[in-house]
Amino acid sequence: MSTFHLRISTPDGLIFDDEVTGLKARMIDGDVGILANHANYVSAVGAGEAVIRLPDGQTRKAACIGGMLSVISNEAHLIATTFEWADDIDLERAKLAKERAEKRLTEAKDNAREVALAEAKLRRALVRIGVKS
Amino acid sequence: MAGASMKDIKLRIKSVQSTMQITKAMELVASSKLRKAKLRQESCRPYHEELWKALQEIEASTNDFSSVYQQHRQIRKTCVIVIAGDRGLAGGYNSNIIKAASEMGRPDELCILPIGKRAVEYFCRHGYEVLTTSFMEAASISVADCFSISEILTRGYVDGQFDCVKVLYTRLVSLLSQQPDTMELLPLAAAGKEKKTDVRELVLYEPGADTVYNAIVPNYIAGMLYGAMCESVASELAARRTAMDAASKNASEMIDDLSLKYNRARQGAITQEITEIVAGAEQ
Repeated sequence: MSTFHLRISTPDGLIFDDEVTGLKARMIDGDVGILANHANYVSAVGAGEAVIRLPDGQTRKAACIGGMLSVISNEAHLIATTFEWADDIDLERAKLAKERAEKRLTEAKDNAREVALAEAKLRRALVRIGVKS
Repeated sequence: MAGASMKDIKLRIKSVQSTMQITKAMELVASSKLRKAKLRQESCRPYHEELWKALQEIEASTNDFSSVYQQHRQIRKTCVIVIAGDRGLAGGYNSNIIKAASEMGRPDELCILPIGKRAVEYFCRHGYEVLTTSFMEAASISVADCFSISEILTRGYVDGQFDCVKVLYTRLVSLLSQQPDTMELLPLAAAGKEKKTDVRELVLYEPGADTVYNAIVPNYIAGMLYGAMCESVASELAARRTAMDAASKNASEMIDDLSLKYNRARQGAITQEITEIVAGAEQ
């Protein structure tokens, strides 16, 4: 299967820089799959699971939240706010974060800003839990 | 009298020595932290540079493009993010930043978002409008914190709470020199008036150029902020290292001076004793 170059960077530095055969990620309007020779494409990343298929057939899963994905002349660049490989996710911490966010959500009934903040936190925790399990 | 002064000098030498130990240790800690901070600063740079490129690309490639984030409004209120340190003993680091902030305009034209204990304390005390005081510790600001700041900023900007967002940070010119500097975050500078006429590749923006642009802006601002944050922390450490180096040098100079005085006093005491003995023998 033909491959393309994928670079993944976050504010903490370069996470991944290699040839892959496929990438699946959640954009703000749904999942997209990128294969080699994709048309030039730019979109904003939502919150969800990202799956990378390596040339040897292995797949790697990660939680990928926020940022931008660009594919320009067969070079993909995923600039993510958060990008955590499934192996690196701390399930216990994510579960705790989920509980905290749920509690905050029930407490902040009227405050629209609090609700939005708690929802964002909850979504992040859910993505992490979903990727890990 | 000579004896008492000898004792005094000895005590002073001891206290200067222990001060020197502290300044030496602080210098070493600052240099090792500085190395890490510089690495962090370099590794975060690609993130906002790539996003900036993407933003400019979007602006240049679409003709009928407009976004709230790049419209210049009449400036009534400016939001300034002031990044200072948590602790003193860093030479002029904190005072330079605060001086630069107070030169930016009258307090009623500004709205400050202070980062770092020194900045928070100063602006609260001097009656500035402070957006939030939840970022007390500059050294432990994480990427996630930068994203929540960016969210506050973009929301405030869109709602018209302020018309301009600037960040005041300390640029690391070199390890020996740091300078306060401002960066304008919002409105975003236009990509240049002249549209590039060379043939560019068509890019598919999904769901649309405007949507993608507006979704990227908060990320870009957070990236810029994080970059400024990392640079300021590195500058603080560099400033502290220089200040502590100077303090150690001063201390060792003082010790030399005091040792000389001590030896003179000791000699004086011996001479006096001899004179007294000789005088006693002559009688």
